[in-house]
Amino acid sequence: MDAENKSGPELRPHVYDGIQEYDQRLPNWWLFTLYITIVFFIGYWVAYYQFKLIETDETRLNRAIAAIDAARLKQLEAVDDARLWAMSQDPQVVERGKATFMTACVACHGPDLMGKKNNPALPGPSLADQEWKFGHQPTEVLKLVRKGSPDVTKGMPPWEPVLGVSRVIDVTAFILSHHKEGEPFTVAPDAPGTVTKS
Amino acid sequence: MSARPKPTLESVTTISADGSRPFLHPADVQGRLSAWRRWTALVLLAVYVLLPWIPIKGYPAVFLNVMERRFHFFGITLATQDLWLFFFLISGAAFGLFYVASLFGRVWCGWTCPYTVFLEHVYRRVERWIEGDAPARRLLDAAPWSLAKVLKRALKHGIFLVLSALIAHVFLSYFVSIKQLYAWMQGPPSQHLFAFGAVVFLTGALYFAFSWFREQFCIILCPYGRLQSALTDDNTVVIGYDKKRGEPRGKVGTAGAGDCVDCLRCVQVCPTGIDIRNGLQLECIGCSACVDACNDIMAKVGRPAGLVRYSSLNALSGGRTRYIRPRTIAYTVLAVLGLAAFGLSLTTLKPMRVLAKRMPGAPFFTGDGVVRNQFTFRLINKRHEASSYRLDLVQAPEGMRMMGAEDPVKVPPLGEVEKPVIVTIPQSQYTGKTQITILIREQRDRGMAITQKVEFLGPDLRFFQNKPSPPSS
Repeated sequence: MDAENKSGPELRPHVYDGIQEYDQRLPNWWLFTLYITIVFFIGYWVAYYQFKLIETDETRLNRAIAAIDAARLKQLEAVDDARLWAMSQDPQVVERGKATFMTACVACHGPDLMGKKNNPALPGPSLADQEWKFGHQPTEVLKLVRKGSPDVTKGMPPWEPVLGVSRVIDVTAFILSHHKEGEPFTVAPDAPGTVTKS
Repeated sequence: MSARPKPTLESVTTISADGSRPFLHPADVQGRLSAWRRWTALVLLAVYVLLPWIPIKGYPAVFLNVMERRFHFFGITLATQDLWLFFFLISGAAFGLFYVASLFGRVWCGWTCPYTVFLEHVYRRVERWIEGDAPARRLLDAAPWSLAKVLKRALKHGIFLVLSALIAHVFLSYFVSIKQLYAWMQGPPSQHLFAFGAVVFLTGALYFAFSWFREQFCIILCPYGRLQSALTDDNTVVIGYDKKRGEPRGKVGTAGAGDCVDCLRCVQVCPTGIDIRNGLQLECIGCSACVDACNDIMAKVGRPAGLVRYSSLNALSGGRTRYIRPRTIAYTVLAVLGLAAFGLSLTTLKPMRVLAKRMPGAPFFTGDGVVRNQFTFRLINKRHEASSYRLDLVQAPEGMRMMGAEDPVKVPPLGEVEKPVIVTIPQSQYTGKTQITILIREQRDRGMAITQKVEFLGPDLRFFQNKPSPPSS
């Protein structure tokens, strides 16, 4: 073997478990991948750490969140009282809102929207009468559906995180379809800001 | 031919002493095993290309819908939550592969690995068609640049690029479906930059791998190849040269010579450039090209076939191959265990999933003489058709009521719905926090039912029971 190896590659002196290895040159393509990583490292180090040319994950994340918020806000800004009243006349919107209502809101406000007025076992107030506790304007109703009741002891949770902006708007339109623009309204006796005589 | 180094055991043929890469041009080979290998490859190629086109229950046969996180396999649809069972499939399949490797060495590499199938049966076919057989290709490599050479090279690499793009598109269609892929292909790349980038990257990688990198992957990079020395032993059936029969080598008619006529056909056809007569080597991918090549020569010189053949090191040195041995038994048991666990867990999959949680806000509410808890049930329908679910309160204290789920909840196919319900109990009947059970039933014949336990909470009893009674003084 030794005489035969004279012309071949050099055998390294170390031995592990009887295994020896030759001192061979690495393939050029293999070395080339090493050189590429070195070049990449320098380029990346200069661009990312020194001149901050590449966005960090944090700024990318914040930008994505801002974009989502902006889209949400834009959708909400397009909605004012007049627009909500108009939507309450659109059968397609009302149908969508009804589907959501019958899944989500029905638990407390009942399928007839009358809440505890018709069925005392239900915890939710009526949405089909003219008595309002947190404002009768469509945008005020929308805000209540989105953000939940300011009175946290009553149990109306914020629905925008669960349903999303579109469905919250649809549900509000469905509620408004049980009302008429300009109809008379009363303020609930336990509404905030109402002074109860002691 | 002089440039071609003689394969040795000390060095890899395709890596020169100066680190450069001698480019191999394996000779054509015909024979029984090669024919079988080609048929196997054609079947595998057909499976690869056709699977995304075959609809089963409205979805492609294999459709890994990562965007909607639904995974369709031959009519079975899995959600992300079911992916745990792939642990068993993959571990079972891996041990199955180990089992095959311990019995037959790198038979996977030579016959069925996608890399080999694409390289040997697609790209090398194109190369053979355009540039001719191995000597012609070697001549073309050495020839100075001429119009003919430029044309041949442009045509070859053009076709290579198109083929790579095709394979890449088929690959993407496994994840987005043919329909979506076709829709994307008609729009500008700016509308689907990620998918476009993936296809461009894959096309480039495939083109690089199959036009230039080739056997270097199998020899140096592939982890399965690197595992071989741990998986095989002296009883493993590999491609072997019968030294006892072949040595000493000599031309036909040489006195005292063995059966090997030293024609070097086995070296010329080898896709990794080794000399199989040096024994089992890490470069050997078990493709059996040398077996067919040698049998061909043996037939011509009138000697029995099988000088190079599928055999174990034990059998080649005069012993017998032992197929049943601790290693194969262990791999079999582990493979069967993994696949059996996968099969069993597949039968436990339910076509629905329910997640119960308390609604945001206070944990409980009091008022109107009742204690009230609010929950939402996320109902996930894993069927390919719409389903309705009934929610009923079972196992609850006297007087407890559940409201909001009087009607069955309809959930669209492969969709999900958040269903809020409220549970109340009159204050007088409230005896402290308790676990209640809700039964969710599919409204269909032999429908599935799931019970879900939730905690019903209320105010502290001592504080609470004082309240209704009037002040004593």
